[in-house]
Order: sequence, then C-alpha cells, then structure tokens
Amino acid sequence: MTLGLPLFISFLALALSVAVGYRRPRTWLALTVTGTVAGLVAAVYVLLSGDRWEWQSDFLLGGEALRLRLDGLSALFLLLVAVVGGAGAVYSHEYWSDEHNPASAPRGRVWWSSLLLSMGLVLTVANGLHFLIAWELFALCGYFLITLDRRRSGVRAAGWLYLVASHAGTMCLFAFFGLLAAHTGSWELGPLRERGELAPLFWLALIGFGLKAGFFPLHIWLPSAHANAPSHVSAIMSGVAIKMGVYGILRFSGWLPVPAAAGWVVVSLGAVSALLGIAFAFAQNDFKRLLAYCSVENIGIIMIGVGIALLAVSHDDAPWGRLALAGALLHVWNHGAFKSLLFFGAGSVLHATGTRELSRLGGLARNMPWTAGLFALGILAVAGLPPLNGFVSEWLIYLGLFDVATGKGALAWIAMPAAVMLAMAGAIALASFAKAGAMIFLGAPRTQPAARAHECGYWMRGPMLGLAAVCGIIGLAPVLFWPAISEAVACWRPVWGLGEPPAPLAMLGSAQVTLAIIILAAAVWLWRKSRDNGLRRGLTWDCAYAVPTARMQYTSASFAGIVAGWFRWLMLPERTVHRPHGYFPASAIRLERVPETVLERVLAPVGNLVMHASHTALRLQHGRLQFYILYVVAGLIGIGLLVLWGGAQ
Amino acid sequence: MSGTLNLLIGLAMGLNLIALGSSRLPSLIRAMSLQGVLLGMMPLLMEHERLDWRVILVALATMAGKGVVIPTLLRRAMRAANIEREIQPFIGFVPSLLLGAGGTIAAVALARGLPLLPEHVGTLLVPGSLAAILTGFILLIGRAKAISQVCGYLILENGIYLFGLLLIHSTPLLVESGILLDVTVGVFIIGIIVDRIQRAFDSLDTRKLTTLRE
Amino acid sequence: MNLILDLILRLAMWLLLAPLLPGIINKVKAWVAGRRGPPVLQLYYDLAKLWRKGVVMSTLASPGFIIGPAVGWVALLSAALLMPLGPAGSAVSFRGDVLLLIYLLALARFCTAWAAMETGSAFEGMGSAREVSYAVLTEAAIIAAVLSLIVHTSSVTLITMLAPSAGAGAALLAAGLFTVLLAENCRVPFDDPNTHLELTMIHEAMILDHSGPPLAAILHGASIKLLLFAVLLVQAVLPIGEMSPLAAAGVLAGGVLTVTVGVGLVESLLARLAFRRVPLLLTTAFLLCLFALLVAWKGGAK
Repeated sequence: MTLGLPLFISFLALALSVAVGYRRPRTWLALTVTGTVAGLVAAVYVLLSGDRWEWQSDFLLGGEALRLRLDGLSALFLLLVAVVGGAGAVYSHEYWSDEHNPASAPRGRVWWSSLLLSMGLVLTVANGLHFLIAWELFALCGYFLITLDRRRSGVRAAGWLYLVASHAGTMCLFAFFGLLAAHTGSWELGPLRERGELAPLFWLALIGFGLKAGFFPLHIWLPSAHANAPSHVSAIMSGVAIKMGVYGILRFSGWLPVPAAAGWVVVSLGAVSALLGIAFAFAQNDFKRLLAYCSVENIGIIMIGVGIALLAVSHDDAPWGRLALAGALLHVWNHGAFKSLLFFGAGSVLHATGTRELSRLGGLARNMPWTAGLFALGILAVAGLPPLNGFVSEWLIYLGLFDVATGKGALAWIAMPAAVMLAMAGAIALASFAKAGAMIFLGAPRTQPAARAHECGYWMRGPMLGLAAVCGIIGLAPVLFWPAISEAVACWRPVWGLGEPPAPLAMLGSAQVTLAIIILAAAVWLWRKSRDNGLRRGLTWDCAYAVPTARMQYTSASFAGIVAGWFRWLMLPERTVHRPHGYFPASAIRLERVPETVLERVLAPVGNLVMHASHTALRLQHGRLQFYILYVVAGLIGIGLLVLWGGAQ
Repeated sequence: MSGTLNLLIGLAMGLNLIALGSSRLPSLIRAMSLQGVLLGMMPLLMEHERLDWRVILVALATMAGKGVVIPTLLRRAMRAANIEREIQPFIGFVPSLLLGAGGTIAAVALARGLPLLPEHVGTLLVPGSLAAILTGFILLIGRAKAISQVCGYLILENGIYLFGLLLIHSTPLLVESGILLDVTVGVFIIGIIVDRIQRAFDSLDTRKLTTLRE
Repeated sequence: MNLILDLILRLAMWLLLAPLLPGIINKVKAWVAGRRGPPVLQLYYDLAKLWRKGVVMSTLASPGFIIGPAVGWVALLSAALLMPLGPAGSAVSFRGDVLLLIYLLALARFCTAWAAMETGSAFEGMGSAREVSYAVLTEAAIIAAVLSLIVHTSSVTLITMLAPSAGAGAALLAAGLFTVLLAENCRVPFDDPNTHLELTMIHEAMILDHSGPPLAAILHGASIKLLLFAVLLVQAVLPIGEMSPLAAAGVLAGGVLTVTVGVGLVESLLARLAFRRVPLLLTTAFLLCLFALLVAWKGGAK
C-alpha cells in the first residue's frame, strides 16, 4: 500500500484541481503541483526499487474490472508527465493568466489537469478496453487545450487537423485492441510473447501510436498544432504527449511478439524522420513551427534506438540492443526537458513581442537576459552538444549503432546509413538552432515590438530554470540516472536484466563535468582579461559600412537558404517574387513559404480527388421520388439476375 | 379449382394492363379496387375444403377494405385535390402498356423455372404476382401525380399478397389481416398528406418535392 | 605525479606547437609565389600582440560575444586532449570518445557562429550561414571516415581505432580526410583565409568584428583544430600506435609537416571554388570516406 498512497494523493489532488480550476487559480496551482509531486514520488520509487504496483477495482467499467499497473516502463513516462506537467502549471499561472485571457484561462486550467489525469491513466491501465477510453480522453483534452484561443482561425484549423489525425490513429488502435482481445479471448493486457500469431498486429500498433508520436510521414498534424497552441500547451504536447505514442509502441513491442521486419522498418522510419524533420525545421520562419518540426526529428532519434533494440531481440539479445534502448529512453526524458524549456522560452518571447515570425524579432538578449540565457542553454541541449544531456542520449544511441556496425552482419546495412543520417541531422539541428537563437536574441531589433520587449516574470522564469537544471544534471551526472533507465529497460525485456552501465557513462560524466568547469573558468578569465585590457563599445565595424540598419541583418530565410535549396525537391516551396524596377526602386517583395509537404502536396490532392468524385456522385441524389424507386427496382432486378446466373452455374 | 383460380388471376392481370393504360384517375382507382376484390376472393377458393369462419372473415374484410374503404379514401383525396387526370407521365401510356405486357410474358416464362409445390405448379399464382409487382413499380416510377403513385403502391401490395397466397397454409391469416390494416391506415394518412401537398404547392406533382435532398 | 606531468607535456605540445602550422603554410605559399613571406613564427607574434590589446565590442553585442570564443577555445583544446598521440595515448580515453571529439568540434563551431551573430551584421550572418550549412556535409564525411575506422578495427575507442593503419582503404581515407581537413579549417578550395570580400568569405566573415584577447583565442583555437586534423589524418593512414615512441614521434612530426606543406601547396596551386560547387566537392569527400568504409567492410574481420 505504500506505493498506492502517493498515487492516490496524486489522483485526488488532480481530480480536485479539475473541480476548482475554473474559479480559483491559486488553489488549482497548489493542487496540481501537489498532484504532480506525488506522481513524481511514486514514479521515482518504482524506478529505484523495482517494485511494481497493481490495483484492481471492485466496480465494473464497461463490463471489465478496472485494473491499474505501474511498472518500470510506465514509471519512466509518468515521471516525465509529472515534471513537465507541474512546470507547465506554474508557467501558465503567469503566461495564460486570467488578466490576459479571461475567456480561456479558466477552461485551460481545467483541461490541463484533465490532460495530466488522462495521461496518467493511459500509462497505468492494464486492460485494452480501458486503454482505449483513456486514450480517447487524452486526445480530447489535447484538442481542447490546443484550441484555447478559439478566436483565431489558424488555431481552429490546427485543432481540427489534430483531432482528425488523432482519430485516424485511434481507429487503428481500435482494430489493434479488438483483434488482440479476439485472439486472446480477454481484454487483459500483459506479456504474451509466446503467441507468435499476434506478430502482425504490431503494424497496426505502429501506425496507431505512430500517428500520436508523429514520425515521418505521420507527422502532418504536428507542426500546425504545436505552433498554434499556447506555449505551455505546446511544451506538454511536444515534450510529453507525443511520448505517449512512443510508450504505446514500446509497451506492446515488449509484451507481444514482433514481426522480423519490425526493427528494420522502425529504424528506417526513425532515420528518415530525423533527417527530413530537421531539414523542414531549418526552413521554417516561425520559431514555434521550427520547434515542432524539431520534435519530429527527436522522435526519429528515439525510434532509431527502439528499432535497434527490436533488432537485438530478434538477433539473440545482442548487448547493443540494451545500449540503444537505454539511449532512446534517456532521450525521451532529455527531449521532454529541453523541448519544454525551449517552448517556455518561445512563450516568453511571444508574450513579450506578440509575434512568432523570426524576421520580426532580434536583439532581445538585451531586454530579456534570463530568457536569452536559458534559451541558449536549451539550444545547446537540443543540438546534442557537450556538456549537456542531449549529447549523452545521442552518444548512447550512436554507440549502439557503432556496435551493430562492428558486427559486420546484414544489420550493419541499416545501422551505417542510420548513423550517417543521424550525424547530418545533428549538424542541421545545430544550424537550425543557431539560426533561431541568433534571429530572436542577437543583433538589433528588426521591428518596434521587438525593441520594446520586456523580460518575463518569476512564475515563467522558475519552470525554465528548473528544466535547465534538469538538463544540466542529466548531462553532468548521467550515471545517477542509469539505475532508473536500466529498470525500465529490464521491464521491457526481462531477459536483459539490470546491470552495470554497458558504456563508460561514469567516465563520460566526469569528462563533461571537467569540461563544464573549464568552460566557466575560461569564460570568466577571458572576460576579465578583455575588461582589464580595455573594453570599448562602438558601432559594428561591418567592413566600415557607414549607416547600418536593423533590416540589413541576415534574415532567417537567407540563413537557411543553402540547405533549403538542397531539400527543394522535398519541400517544394512556394515563391512570390516582385523584382525591383528602375534606378531608384520603391519596393521589392520576395515571399517564400514552405508548406507541410505530406499534407499539402500528397494528402490534400488525394482529398480533392475524393471530393470531386463525391460531387459527381451527388448528381444521383436529386430528390426525385420516381428515380429512387427506379434505383430500388434496378437493384432488385440485378439481384434476381445474379441469383439466376448463380443457379444456372 | 385451379381453373377458376387461373381465371381470376387472369382477370387481375388484365386489370393491370387497364391500370397502366388509363390516364383518368377514377378508372385507375376502379381497376385497382376491382383487382383487390378479386384477390380477396382467392383464399375462399383455395381453402374451400377447410372453410373456417376466420378465413371467411378475413376474405370479406379484404374485399371490403380493398374494394370500398380504400377507393373511397382515394376518391375523397382526389376530389379535395381537384384533379381528374394524369397529364404527362415520365413513362408514357403506350410505353408503360408495352412494358407491362412484356413483363407479364416474362413473368410467365420465369415462373416455369421456379421450384414450386406440386399443387401450385399449374396455377398462375407466381406469374400473376410478378406481373402485379412490375405493374406497381411502373406506376410508381412512371407517374408524376401522388395519387397515381399511391395506386401503383396498392397494386404492388396486391402482387405481394398474391405471392403470399402460396404460403397460405403456413402463414397465419392474422399476418395477412395485419398487413391489410396497415395498408388501410396508410392510405388514410396519404389522403391527408395529399391534401397538404395540394395546399402547399397547389399541385400534386411530386417533381416539386425535391427540396429535402441530402 | 606522472599523470600531471603527462598532462602538462601534452598541453604544452598542443598549445605551443599549434601556431606553427599556419606559419609553415604561409611560408610554403610565399615560396611557391617567389616571395620571402612572413616569418614562420608570425602567428606567435600576432597572438602575443593581440593578447595585450583592448577589445572593441559592438553596441549590439551581449557578453556572449566574448564568452563564445572562450568556450570554443576550451572545446577545441579538450578535443585535442582526446586525440591520441601515437603510443603516448591521450589524456582521457574511453569507449565512444570519438563521438565526444566530433561533438566538441561541433560545439566550437556553434560558439563561433553565435559570437559572430552577436554583432548584428550581414557579413557575419552570411559567414555563419555558409559555415553551418557546409558543416552538414562535412559531418557526414567525418562520420563515414570514423565508421570505416571502426569497422576496420572493431573498436570505438580512439586509441585502438587509430593505432593500426587503415589498411587497404588507406589511400581513399587519406584523400577523404584531407578534403575534410581543408573544409573544416577553411582553406582553399573551400574558403580563402586571405580574402575579405563579403561574397567570398566564410570563416573570415565570422571573425570580422572580433579584436584583442577573444580574437587571439579564436586564432589559436583555429590552429589547434588544424593540428588536430593533421594528427588524425597521419594516424589514420600510418600505424603510428604500433611503433616505438621515438620512431612514432619522428613519423608523426614528419607526417604533420607533410600534411601542412601539402595544404600550403594546395592553397598555392588551386583557386577557390565557386560556392555552388562546394557541395559537390564535399559530397566527393563523403563518397571517398564511404568507399574507404566499404573497403574496410570487405577487408574481413579483425
């Protein structure tokens, strides 16, 4: 019962917060933070002790008793939900407060707690029917959170797209759980690895959960939904909600047998998502869309790790599988932390300037030093640079890939291209975030709103600091987190069991700590030396250009121009150009828009074709009674002829 | 016995053709009601060994209903709508006659191929019913005025009733009487509706009733 | 005690020997052009001069303008300490340190780009954009080269990877790594270190507004990076790790000298490529490393 207590407190606190959220912001905040802290405690306990918590209800829900189970794998994701959920709640206290958004803030609080509750339920239910109920609740809470600011048409369209994609995934999940229940005879979920005929169900689970996780090409809803949602909602969606898809894939590939081709397909999808996702991100001029596409890339990285682990399972439980899966699970945490940090920073910028366009910002570091510094830390983490956490998880996955390559078997044919694509994706990620950070915070402000920006308050700074600290701690002391990750890995594949870190994490950790210390020392020393030598401020020399203006700075589209040109065949940008005329040109316009290729160039034409065909068929529906009776008679005669013809054979 | 039966059914088939050919509504109603009376007599002929008061009651009720009640309702509706003729149907009178005749011949040919109980083999029950059903459909599809379509529906119902006579031993007559009741009530309601249509559109042309489309 | 001595010697070698290389390159270029050229120790004098000078900072820049070069320099020095020096090994060695090296180079690149963008100038923006974009292709080439070494030696630790020679694919790997060296260190044919025209600069554009000690850090860091790549190239091709210490030192020094003279000759004899041709050359480097990987693959297990 010791584990049941924090979970019960968490549930009770969150349920109460749903009830009071509408009218009492402070009470809601206190209750939500209590709930998330209790959930955190429970998750940490499960991860460190290896215990498993199970509970069965007395009442029936839909004909089945409600059974909850919290084991290592669920606890890993529950911890992420708790941390980001709590941080987001604190952040929204100032970011989406009642003063600024009187209509939607009360609703937002209620739906936030409901989202946390439903995610917790998804992670703990052990019954197929209830999983579907919890999944649907989770999707609906997400929809209502995304469309908090319903007055803007972009937000409504984004919410609609999210809902449609979510339900397409749920449809696959209905098929998956239905078939599973039909084959096993009950809705109970548990390890069933010996039933070989269940293997093809993995593909259904991959598509269903993949639509939620958002890897290429199932990511079509992600950019618009995460860009148009309020920033704290984008943070939890990008950091946590899409990981629910990863949880689903992991959970059911651990419990059920998987087809032989599963690992290959997952690694390929992951590598393609990583490279193409970040290429799209680089070409975006809206910083929240950039962050959203970057989530696609990171889900790709996680998928690479999961795919390698699946390959290891079918190849005699090779040790590199454990490495890769550990890297993937750590990346789940890392991405949750740094992506939420980045979205909170983006929210701070949006709150201060009111615009998401990179070409309208600039020079915000002067007025918003905290946001700039924390965003820069987030950038270092997302680009996978030492000494932060992004590097550690990518390092683990790379090691897994390299170990596969040294094996020189058939598997190396997928590991080597994946490693190359991962490296390219990392380089493009560095470029994208150099662009984003530079365009927002460095240089001179390009427009008036950017010049008048103000720093965010303590309620928004606090969560950002907390998440930055998490990034730092995981980066500097990864060995501390190894037991928890190892517990989750052992939960996924008990044969692999716990053990020493298969990679020199301790050495890496100490190397990163040393690096961090030396960096700090060098930075302070150089600053001191420069000041002692004499620090003078002047206009940017700029090769002696006499009258520089803010508009002469490099724009975000120009920065990404070279790489966007390489990917032109995929991105198919739409361009509007009005060249300058005459000797003293008055105006020149160049507009370039990168559409969401899979949605607008593949799905939309197919949809238009279907609509066209339907309109043609609409001509049959004219309302004239006589023709309807004629259709009935024709049908009857047709059936009669069929019967005759069948009888004659 | 089968001779009398065939005679009656032959008469019914002839009434089909009259219904198809007439453009005046009173004659259409009269043909339909006469057909109904003829068909109402059939159970008495088929069951003449085991005549029961129930069978007689149902037959009389059918004859009364189809021969008197329903035509009265229709004539009243017709007078209220103030129409006497079918003008410009979709399927013209000559084509519909030809279709009906062709269908009757096809029905007779088709019936030869169906597996029937030995006592029904020589009778015209199946061809008669198929012919009536076809006639009913032609009237439903081919005519524009609502009352003509109702008559077509009633002839269709006659055909189904005729087919049901094949099962007279197994189908309880309660079912048949139930169907009869439904039909009467239906026609009663249609009478009211026809009045309403007339008031709303100032005509009974069903081509105007296409607004509720999707 | 031994460890500290080793560390000090290693630091001394990297810090003190690195600025020699740009001097040698300039001397070679001068000799080919028939000039006397600047002294070989010129960069030392420049660094000393810069270290004493003051800093002019743009009004738009934040402290990141100075912190950037500092972090970049530390990253490059740390990468250098990870690089093994033949049988002497490296300061720190563990499984997977090759990745730390690659990402430390990426950290240095990021810091340079960030410090450049601080000035809010179009030149720096141009240089940073080009630098980070071409880095995508060089990263692919580096990973392919690293993979070929990994497959050849079945190990992911730098010391074991670089100890033996690259075997049959050595020539391909050498050509690929040499091209990567030219690209990463902003040498002709990718970038001309002597140009200051905005349409032709990459690295020079990024350091245009720096002065004083931060500029010294950047220039010193660049020379460390050149030495790092030269040492990597020599060790990848020759089995230095398996020689005796004296022979190894001699061969390593000779190899680095050869590479430096080679860079100088290439700079003198080739013209800078038009920017639209640069991706082609980088892809060629990637393909060379890829072919080295395939040769190592086919070469059988070790």
